[in-house]
Amino acid sequence: MTQHRVDAVLIDEETLDLHELASACAVPPTWVVERVEAGLLSCNSSGGEMRFASAHLVRARRMVTTERRFDANQELAALVADLLEEVEQLRRQVQTTAKGARG
Amino acid sequence: MEFKEYYKALGVEPTANGDEIKKAYRKLARKYHPDVSKEAGASARMAEVNEAYAVLSDPEKRAAFDKLAQRRAAGQDFQPPPGWDAGFDFSDAGSPVGDDGDFSEFFNALFGRAARARHGGGARAQMRGSDQHAKISINLADAYHGATRSLALREARLDESGNVVTAERVLDVQIPKGVKEGQSIRLRGQGSPGLNGGHAGDLYLQVEFEPDARSRIEGRDVTQTVPIAPWEAALGASIEVPTPAGRVEVKVPPGSNNGRKLRLKGRGIPGNPPGDLYLELELALPSANTEKARELYQTMAREFSSFNPREQMGAQR
Repeated sequence: MTQHRVDAVLIDEETLDLHELASACAVPPTWVVERVEAGLLSCNSSGGEMRFASAHLVRARRMVTTERRFDANQELAALVADLLEEVEQLRRQVQTTAKGARG
Repeated sequence: MEFKEYYKALGVEPTANGDEIKKAYRKLARKYHPDVSKEAGASARMAEVNEAYAVLSDPEKRAAFDKLAQRRAAGQDFQPPPGWDAGFDFSDAGSPVGDDGDFSEFFNALFGRAARARHGGGARAQMRGSDQHAKISINLADAYHGATRSLALREARLDESGNVVTAERVLDVQIPKGVKEGQSIRLRGQGSPGLNGGHAGDLYLQVEFEPDARSRIEGRDVTQTVPIAPWEAALGASIEVPTPAGRVEVKVPPGSNNGRKLRLKGRGIPGNPPGDLYLELELALPSANTEKARELYQTMAREFSSFNPREQMGAQR
């Protein structure tokens, strides 16, 4: 067994470029560009270049997964990603409310 | 290594046709979807199902797997026999459901990138390793101060003779301070190894916070409950509070009620800008378990006879 010490980089402080996001999602860059142009995936723009943060990476991976697993079209995959984001937010609120009620 | 029963994983017979396999896969993919499933071990089960589908949905891989399953002696530790894959071609782009970084040792040895390289063909070209993804749990103190976490990773690679071998490596990951729930951490070059001198892929870790009974976290803002005595709340007090940012001395204003929040600006999770820390007061009552304590509560009951804590509920007493 080998042991390595590695430093981690926080995505957001250092965002991903188009090719890095595509590679992280195992898709070609055109897959990303098509969905950004269709308004299904957002990005930060920096000097005309697309940059992607943690939330974009999570959303893109959810969309890829839905498209591949269910042969879903891109609009439907984006809708699923919207719903999953909503579920995540509601779960956080429920957790906060439940703790508040206990306190 | 463990032989994987792919037909069982999908709940289909070995005679199932392509449509039946796809139908079974989609049903399980909904059931074990990691973002919605409430089943225990949903993520691990989803990985098994994905792996099984990656093999059974591909005619070449399925035929090779079937041939291997027939020749296998039950109950034995499995090693692919030499030349088991003669006549098959898996030199495609990999899995239909994602990268194969999450798949088992069994899959990687038979159908993974290293195995595809062993097949030769176009594999002499340099190829960057695929990026891998995992989740990592940290606690609130780690987000404030940074932390080191050990991650054990198994990877398949080719040895000098061209055989697929798996090796375990342990990464000591330095997690920077200021990390937020859901944020991704990137470890360059720690994903799947590249082929023929290609660069290794990256490893992405998505951060989850361990549940904490005393704290709630929203972005970089942290709310922490702080128990206080009734006289501290009523009369005001200077109290010492251990927080993830260290011990702080806090003034509780007189007349504070249960649930009151005190804001400590910039004492939340570090960052640019840092979050705020909210201390939520929680009244703690001393037990009336001695004669003296009972007397004190009885005195309070007499002295506060007009106090009705249920007045807003419409109760008379």
